[in-house]
Amino acid sequence: MTTTIGEIVRGDAAVFPPYLYDAYRATILRAPLLPMVEVPLSIVDRQGPGAAWFPVQPIDADLTRNAGMGGEALGQRIILTGRLLDADGRPVPDALVEVWQANAAGRYIHKNDQWPGPLDPNFLGLGRCRTDANGAYRFLTVRPGAYPWKNHENAWRPAHVHFSVLGRMWSERMITQMYFADDPMLSLDPIYNAVPEAARARLVAAYAHDVTESQWALGWRWDIVIAGSTSTPFEERGNA
Amino acid sequence: MSHLLTPSQTVGPYFHDALLGCDAFISAEAPGQRVRIVGTVVDGAGEGVPDAMIEAWQGNCFSRVGTGAGGIFEFTTIHPSSAPTDRTTAAPRIDLVIFARGLLNHLVTRIYFPDEHSNERDPVLRLVPPARRATLIAQRGPSHADAREATYRFDIVLQGGDETVFFDVR
Repeated sequence: MTTTIGEIVRGDAAVFPPYLYDAYRATILRAPLLPMVEVPLSIVDRQGPGAAWFPVQPIDADLTRNAGMGGEALGQRIILTGRLLDADGRPVPDALVEVWQANAAGRYIHKNDQWPGPLDPNFLGLGRCRTDANGAYRFLTVRPGAYPWKNHENAWRPAHVHFSVLGRMWSERMITQMYFADDPMLSLDPIYNAVPEAARARLVAAYAHDVTESQWALGWRWDIVIAGSTSTPFEERGNA
Repeated sequence: MSHLLTPSQTVGPYFHDALLGCDAFISAEAPGQRVRIVGTVVDGAGEGVPDAMIEAWQGNCFSRVGTGAGGIFEFTTIHPSSAPTDRTTAAPRIDLVIFARGLLNHLVTRIYFPDEHSNERDPVLRLVPPARRATLIAQRGPSHADAREATYRFDIVLQGGDETVFFDVR
């Protein structure tokens, strides 16, 4: 079976997936088909509300306990950490990082997830934190399980954590998914495969023994690089 | 040293509990006319998209809403003409970022307002082929009992002949 890959891409086509990638069937009726209008970054407003007003508590970054039921989530405890950087490698501080994921059995608490995997009353699968002065984020969670979906016969999503990054302005906005190294499900997944092959590995976290805490939790490291407004000197061009 | 950008992935179907927990945000000190935006997100078959998320970015205001049954969404903000920017040539507008299952990368578009003479010299709108500009102009809704609030309609067509204009900002 061949996959139809659309030509409409937002951003660098060597990095970002096309909108139409028909092996992922939901793209077929939702992908824009007309050319996008390219706008130079220099003529758009660089200000934004930022994320500082979002309420964030330390417990929000502990997915093993933030269900608030008094118990701890079941599964392999993991520490998920990394840095948010701009394209010049500079840290992006004070960004809001939001995550959501299935539990260790591969089940989401979402009402639309109805496959017969067990729910865990001590796991909501939701977390948030703010990046620190070094651009670092850190979550304590459990390793999510793979889960089935209905895209094609016997389709399973590889284990993943959804990441949403909200920085100073909308041109830095990013939502993506993080995967785990050496997952045999990756090569079967059309959502992962929609990313150009050379860029796919950037979605995969690496096991990090220096993050692992003895007698406690395994460490995984994954850095996120967004097109940042600090990387390009702002130039007022006036009327275009 | 140039760092390699992280690719995007779809928001998927299960984001609601994680991302829609915070109410829409309007800066408490923001003065100006309240404006209610209502619309529908539709796919290439004309069907409503009931699992999209729309973010409105505008000066010091930020709103995040999900679409419901039929693809309908609604949010309230401050009319952008009430919030002058440093860019005198730019017309009042609201930046929108759209996420959904089936969108491997989010979409960026803008709401402009009808009867704004500044639309003609807006540097971004001028980049849009004239025949497609109408997709970016909200339509005035029925007048509201409360004169301090105006309603506009802005539909988002993901695919098709009357597809909304989406931007690639570089």
